Amino acid sequence: MFKQKLLCISIALLTSYSACAFDFDWQKALKTGADVVQKVQQANKPLSEAQEIELGHGIASNLLGASPLLNNKALQVYVNQVGRWVSLYTERPDLPWQFGVLDSSDLNAFATPGGTIFITKGLMQHLSNESELAGVLAHEMVHVLSKHHLAALQKSAKMNIASDLAGQALDAKGNPILDKAIKAGTEVYAKGLDKNDEFEADRKGIVIATRAGYDPYGLPAVLQMLDSANAQDSSLALMFKTHPAPRDRLNLLDQIMVNNFDAYAAPSQTDKRFNSELALLK
Amino acid sequence: MKRLHALLLLCCLPLSVFADAPAYTVRPTEIKQQPYSDAASIATLPDKASVNIVLRKGGWVQINSTQGKGWVKMLNLRSSSTTTKQGDSGLQSLFNMGRSGSSGITVATGVRGLSEEDLQNSQPNPAELAKLQGYAVNKNQAEKFGRSSKLKTQTLDYVPAPGN
Repeated sequence: MFKQKLLCISIALLTSYSACAFDFDWQKALKTGADVVQKVQQANKPLSEAQEIELGHGIASNLLGASPLLNNKALQVYVNQVGRWVSLYTERPDLPWQFGVLDSSDLNAFATPGGTIFITKGLMQHLSNESELAGVLAHEMVHVLSKHHLAALQKSAKMNIASDLAGQALDAKGNPILDKAIKAGTEVYAKGLDKNDEFEADRKGIVIATRAGYDPYGLPAVLQMLDSANAQDSSLALMFKTHPAPRDRLNLLDQIMVNNFDAYAAPSQTDKRFNSELALLK
Repeated sequence: MKRLHALLLLCCLPLSVFADAPAYTVRPTEIKQQPYSDAASIATLPDKASVNIVLRKGGWVQINSTQGKGWVKMLNLRSSSTTTKQGDSGLQSLFNMGRSGSSGITVATGVRGLSEEDLQNSQPNPAELAKLQGYAVNKNQAEKFGRSSKLKTQTLDYVPAPGN
């Protein structure tokens, strides 16, 4: 009987001790957990569309600091017409999409958050038709649609843009957090995106261009052109450093296009228009 | 007549990039008489057969090969010119850039400004940003442009990534 009592007390003591110990750990764990959850929630909180656009304009201004626009209004408007038309066939047709040809002999194209897209004069000169232009612009649009640069920026700058900017005025002038985000954002263009982001942009870009009525093989044709170019050439240095090899990109499109995209062709008048717009550049 | 001549010249321009580009097949490939899947076959090229690209039309390219001249699917080909080129001269044939003597340095026409360092050190250019915004077209203008081009729009979903 006594032994039984002793056992009961021992068990009770042990239980309460362990309960206490558990209570203590559990509370701590819960608190830590709550902090983590809060942080994750903040990290996952998307930037508002207005903030995304403002950040993108800041980055675009920096890119224009590196290379100004080509001084050719007719060509700039033409690229905007093609690009804005194609953008109507994306899931974000109401973004303030705008397009610019940079006066650089490099071969490259860039997208900034919120819908600003650049293509270099060098790349324009080596396109063959409007479907190729549409394919390149559609590829860039996917980076905007999937917010690839925002993700890369958060990762590389270890910044939580959304929570850092929460409740902040949107005026870019004199907002140190936005300035920091713009600076870090511009550096993303020197480092490049994740290669899977580039593959996604190819895979979805061909579909967007096709929806807008263009030849689905416009983008693959540009990749063929790049594949046959010399990877060591300095005008391709940044693009080749920041993108998967054109051959790997072609292999991916080869796998997904198969025979599913054979039925579409662009009207011939788009080629005529392209050639007359580009005549001065060639 | 002069105008027609100029137009014809312009029409020929896009072909130059692809003309006479050496390529090889990545799988056995039928050579078709016309750039259509249901066109008559001329011959079948084996895997890794060498061809020369004459011109491109949609997803098809016209080729010359020892097995004959005709049309093959673009993505059945990969360029075979990359491996043979060295230094900074590779784009010269393709892109017609100037070259300074025998130094091998390519003289690009126009400003680069887009190297890794340029991007890291760039400063904002609000005047150019304002110009950019001035070139933008709105949805209605874009709609009008697309419709007048007779672009035939399609409804289709994104294609899943391979393996998904």
